[in-house]
Amino acid sequence: MESDRFWGWGAAFAEPATIWIVGGVVAVLACAPIAILLVGAEPALRTEMWRRWRSWVVIAGVLLLPILGGAGWTILGFALLGIACYREYARATGLFRERLTSACVAVGILATGFAGLDAWYGFFLALPGLGLALIAGLTILEDRPAGYIQRVGLGVFGFLLFGTALGHLGYLANDPGYRPILLLLLVAVGLNDVFAFVVGKAAGRAKLLPATSPNKTIAGALGALLLTTLLVVGLGGPVFAGTGMEPLGARIALGVLVGVLGQAGDLMLSSVKRDLGIKDTGVLIPGHGGLLDRCNSLLLVAPAAFHLIRVMGGLTFGGGARLITGG
Amino acid sequence: MTWRFRPARDLDLAPGARFRSVRREPGLLSLAAHAAWSALVRVYLAAWHRYRVAGREHLPADAPFVLVANHASHLDALALGAALPARLAARAYALAAGDVFFESDGLAAFAALALNALPMRRRKVAAGDLKDLRARLIEEPCILVLFPEGTRVRDGRMIPFKPGIGMLVGGTAVAVVPCWIDGAFAAMPPGATRPRPKRLRVILGEPRTFAGRVNDKAGWMAIAAELEAAVAALKPVSGR
Repeated sequence: MESDRFWGWGAAFAEPATIWIVGGVVAVLACAPIAILLVGAEPALRTEMWRRWRSWVVIAGVLLLPILGGAGWTILGFALLGIACYREYARATGLFRERLTSACVAVGILATGFAGLDAWYGFFLALPGLGLALIAGLTILEDRPAGYIQRVGLGVFGFLLFGTALGHLGYLANDPGYRPILLLLLVAVGLNDVFAFVVGKAAGRAKLLPATSPNKTIAGALGALLLTTLLVVGLGGPVFAGTGMEPLGARIALGVLVGVLGQAGDLMLSSVKRDLGIKDTGVLIPGHGGLLDRCNSLLLVAPAAFHLIRVMGGLTFGGGARLITGG
Repeated sequence: MTWRFRPARDLDLAPGARFRSVRREPGLLSLAAHAAWSALVRVYLAAWHRYRVAGREHLPADAPFVLVANHASHLDALALGAALPARLAARAYALAAGDVFFESDGLAAFAALALNALPMRRRKVAAGDLKDLRARLIEEPCILVLFPEGTRVRDGRMIPFKPGIGMLVGGTAVAVVPCWIDGAFAAMPPGATRPRPKRLRVILGEPRTFAGRVNDKAGWMAIAAELEAAVAALKPVSGR
């Protein structure tokens, strides 16, 4: 039964909310081409819209398949996403030239994935501390104090973002009803970006943080916060029915948290890129830039949302038995 | 305290273009692939070619430095790479012919990942590429493995070194180690499709630097000629 929960497709649509969210995503992606054809845009803009649409189809597929496929695929998927994001971060910051530090971060990210696969919550919670000890401790052996603070600082920042923070989304899959919760978070974070962009274009004048991100406006940020909260409250109703997250106050809190921290994650990456003097962190996703340019908004949302939902009783993690190490 | 980190030189390149760029910088995954390939090559050279290295004591303790050698066989780059201890091999790039090793996508990926090769355009070596490499030698710092003859000689006899090597190291403190590769022509001359089990030997000479040299065309030619003589002088009397 555990192996079915982990690797089986049988329960993919066990929760009705999963059907609604997946159906909605598929419907939007399927209708977008018609909208692009109807809009009387210039050819260059239209080409750009097609490029972004194709990227979104790939992103949706890459995220949806493992989540529907089972807890094991989901946890592995987020661990691999963490490694891929770290690789991009390390190449953008230059930390990749520090082989030992980078290897320590990679080990930390993989260990976070292992804690998820093992459903070992204690180890999962211990990993930020253990990862710090690994990165700060092992790299002393290089006996190269020049630049130590910088490489440990960059390494720990990377591990906390792509191991710990992203790892929360993987670990969440240990809850028997994880599918609609994860899908709700991903959809809300994704649309939060879209809301900020659209509202900002339509109504914004006053800049939010002009030195960090010249295109973001206060109106866009507030509009996105409002719309995202409404979205989470609405979608959260069926998703959290019968759990401690069902009350309106809890769903509003989750919505505000996604709205604020999603935009904070976006601005965090903007700050990093501006500090480095680069425009995109990579060239992986046509029309979007690098992987990080797409995943940034998830990073700060993941741990906060996970613990809010858990504290409110929205996550139960089944019986809590460790699957690989036992006990 | 100054900030020590810079983004990767090849950050803006798509994967296919990265493999074909002299700006490519390897990460952990490519280094692991390179290390695995190098280990296989060492076993193959020892078993099939009774591979030996003489003069290891002439290798500088650390990067940057350049290995230059005679070139008569596809085995040459493997033989020179295997002369480096693993710690240094991880920092070594082989300069390989862009028109041979980087033609198809698959071959380019193999050259980049397994050989850790950087492409050299041979017909018209771009001055910008050499300037990039020159800066890289010192900044990274790294090790370059290259063959200043510019091509595999067809009859086993050396041809004059091209001045590009002078453009790389003229006026810098980067050490250049002259090397003689013995037996590669007999084992696998140009045109041969598979290597014969002939003995392979690498002889490393004393490193030299060209710090005081004027960095101009005459200076480059002089450096090339000097290194050519140093490499030729390493050739064993009975060697082929």
